[in-house]
Amino acid sequence: MPEIKVTPLGAGQDVGRSCILVSIAGKNVMLDCGMHMGYNDDRRFPDFSYITQNGRLTDFLDCVIISHFHLDHCGALPYFSEMVGYDGPIYMTHPTKAICPILLEDYRKITVDKKGETNFFTSQMIKDCMKKVVAVHLHQTVQVDDELEIKAYYAGHVLGAAMFQIKVGSESAVYTGDYNMTPDRHLGAAWIDKCRPNLLITESTYATTIRDSKRCRERDFLKKVHETVERGGKVLIPVFALGRAQELCILLETFWERMNLKAPIYFSTGLTEKANHYYKLFITWTNQKIRKTFVQRNMFEFKHIKAFDRAFADNPGPMVVFATPGMLHAGQSLQIFRKWAGNEKNMVIMPGYCVQGTVGHKILSGQRKLEMEGRQILEVKMQVEYMSFSAHADAKGIMQLVRQAEPDNVLLVHGEAKKMEFLKQKIEQEFHVNCYMPANGETVTLLTHPNIPVGISLGLLKREMALGLLPDAKRPKLMHGTLIMKDNNFRLVSSEQALKELGLAEHQLRFTCRVHIHDTRKEQETVLRVYSHLKSVLKAHSVQHLPDGSVMVESILIQATAHSEDPGTKVLLVSWTYQDEELGSYLTSLLKKGLPQAPS
Amino acid sequence: MDEAADWLVDSLRLYHDLHAFELPGPTRVLEWTDNQGVYVAGCESQKKNEILHLLLPPKLSAENQGLCPERDFRVKHGGFSDKPVYNLKHVPETRLLVTTGPPGNSLQVWQVAEDSDMIKAVSTIAIHEAKSNLWPRIAVLVSKVPKVLHGTRVNDLHVTELESQNTLYMSGESDSEEEISSLQVLDADTFVFCCASGRLGFVDIRQKWGDSGRTTSSPGPGGELWCAAVRTSGLGSGPTIASLSSNGQLQLTDLRDLDHPVSTVQCRVSKPSPDWELLTVTWAPSLDGCLAISGFDGTVQIYDTMSWEKNGSHVEPLFIHKGHLFMDGTENSMHSMVTTHSWHPSKPRTLLSAAVDASLHVWDWIDPCNSC
Repeated sequence: MPEIKVTPLGAGQDVGRSCILVSIAGKNVMLDCGMHMGYNDDRRFPDFSYITQNGRLTDFLDCVIISHFHLDHCGALPYFSEMVGYDGPIYMTHPTKAICPILLEDYRKITVDKKGETNFFTSQMIKDCMKKVVAVHLHQTVQVDDELEIKAYYAGHVLGAAMFQIKVGSESAVYTGDYNMTPDRHLGAAWIDKCRPNLLITESTYATTIRDSKRCRERDFLKKVHETVERGGKVLIPVFALGRAQELCILLETFWERMNLKAPIYFSTGLTEKANHYYKLFITWTNQKIRKTFVQRNMFEFKHIKAFDRAFADNPGPMVVFATPGMLHAGQSLQIFRKWAGNEKNMVIMPGYCVQGTVGHKILSGQRKLEMEGRQILEVKMQVEYMSFSAHADAKGIMQLVRQAEPDNVLLVHGEAKKMEFLKQKIEQEFHVNCYMPANGETVTLLTHPNIPVGISLGLLKREMALGLLPDAKRPKLMHGTLIMKDNNFRLVSSEQALKELGLAEHQLRFTCRVHIHDTRKEQETVLRVYSHLKSVLKAHSVQHLPDGSVMVESILIQATAHSEDPGTKVLLVSWTYQDEELGSYLTSLLKKGLPQAPS
Repeated sequence: MDEAADWLVDSLRLYHDLHAFELPGPTRVLEWTDNQGVYVAGCESQKKNEILHLLLPPKLSAENQGLCPERDFRVKHGGFSDKPVYNLKHVPETRLLVTTGPPGNSLQVWQVAEDSDMIKAVSTIAIHEAKSNLWPRIAVLVSKVPKVLHGTRVNDLHVTELESQNTLYMSGESDSEEEISSLQVLDADTFVFCCASGRLGFVDIRQKWGDSGRTTSSPGPGGELWCAAVRTSGLGSGPTIASLSSNGQLQLTDLRDLDHPVSTVQCRVSKPSPDWELLTVTWAPSLDGCLAISGFDGTVQIYDTMSWEKNGSHVEPLFIHKGHLFMDGTENSMHSMVTTHSWHPSKPRTLLSAAVDASLHVWDWIDPCNSC
């Protein structure tokens, strides 16, 4: 049966680790390979034993697809490919391929160096893993093998994030990863064409939320920065190199201009270099506004934002600084943090999630005393603000995407079924599709009804049309013919043509029936009686008296012989082919009724 | 749009908290369950409307607001209604809701599921009302057995037990046919009603309708349409009923003397309300003497009744929320209309307001006098 099977991997109902196994028409694809950031033991990895019980991963899986660089979607990839063992292709977009290894290495450093864990992937493993990666462009159809093809669509959310379509023949599924339906200042909105997949798989972590507007989030950010700067304090904003940083810069620049503010805003140089590097590679992934800020090769075109120098951190007075890395776990942002933490007029704004073990994570948990290197205690008196700018699709967003793609079925992962009954009904009612919500480890099987295209021979088509009714695309029609399956296509031809192509001879079936007639005269006389009778009765058919003494009605042969035992009875042999069955039966029953009396 | 950008910059000093959401459809309902949740309901005709139980963003109630990044509403429960919902009341201590809307020939009773997130319709209470554009106002009486007070006109006020659908109380049939605009329960036995004409009434259901237990005032001035709200919290005595007219007049009346309003003032509205059914007046639960009005345009105005000097005067609002005009920065929003508003039960200066463009705002305004 044509079917699509989906199994979200991983134990428990916990959100935070994306890894989905999809089987379409015998092809097996793994979608994302994420790490659960909340656990410190094996629970942070997806449960691969579900697949490994089928044998070697490389043999079982046809490919792995990674949607974007967030660790809850790619964090377990080196573990999966190098420690569990997978040598097949791994597909992701170009920005994801460039940024993934950096985040994985950062994460590895924090986990191993800072937290002292041992059973973890190494730097070399990350490198080996990335060698297996094949980068793809948006809307590029990639042939994984003869039958399986994939295509990436823009997903918004973060730089390089993509939604993937997986297609085998006429069956397809689309996996969204994380996406966002409203554009923000540096990324566009997710977009997909009316590809009508059999199945749309979408994350539903935020499906039951109604999101606060972008303006209010930005307002909050500006308010905090403004208040701090007004009272003479310094604002530190730790960011990752590309993406959100630009967006916040544009926001501040506009605000500074409007309010005619004088406090300096700085962008650390390491940040500028990295950002420039990525910009050159991936400018097509950002939106128009961002492209306008990159005019010259090595500088951002901002009026109020300047390059940072270490020494500035000691300058008196208010300022705003963007510095890497984003989780305050090392480098410049941590240095600046140490200098400014002791003053309650200052503020640090964390724009994203921080991994356990980092200073960022500690202060976001409310810790006000930190143990630094050399047993030094740092008292955190500065204000700590946690602002979430990352964009996910809420209920409205999911409805919009379903409307765009027009799938036959929808599958929601990472939500609790009991808490999403309402959304399920909403989707089912609005789009008349089935909506599934499997738990982790549970398999959903969908039956698809693929259309199989069959070519019909002209001869057969003409014959059918001669029967009267014209073909109607919307109505099923019963036809007789022979189906030839050869070289991956199907043809419907007439039987004769099929026989010809196969080099077979047609069997002829001939029926013969005996009718007893009482007649004492000779056979030839009986035949004549039969001939006259049939000629007068069967006006619509051709009745012939052949020179060899037989009668032919159309192509049916009638001969007379004497009965072997009874000379007063003549035996008529009525013989016809399979094609003349109807007429043959009619003739037989007619003759069985008897012949009119012969004129004497 | 420059005005929108200006307003957003102004908002930095006007509000502490400001959140803006887009609901699936506009709501005329903002009914609190407790400190953390509200019900909203779609009010469009010929459409499948949604009744939603929303949890407020955790950030609003977090002890350390700075460390809580979560600013979204969470949909805790949801249900579908084929009819538009104009009014919704939650029956306290139960999982039942009662809704009403046009056509006004029935009340709908709903159950909020415990083991899933569905709100399901459970029963209907039939009403006899000839005119289909009228719809009954409802209020829930506090008692052991769930009861609903409902009525479209003064002469068809009923108290009906939800489960048995028995009528426990009825107003006199021979009485006035005036349409009811507001119904508010004071305790287990008493309620106040306000007619569209402005007439106020106080009723004690322990006494038969028509006995002296009921006092009414004469209708309000000059042919305007009215709604009213009774102050249920706050210290001391003083006027407890605020009536609002479609021309922007505010009248304060004492419950003990409905015939003689204490003060009448003119609010600062640019034009009369284009849809008097959207008029809403509410008393602040925690700010003495403060009330809010909406239903004239896309704003919510807050007044401090303690600062009014004399009768008949024009009064100035303490604060005007203009978010629904400017938040989305489009031309259309300039003509927006606020459908309803409500005060947060415990946070003194926090309000919720909704508008016809399906927007829902949560805002905590900064008292301009506070800094003095």
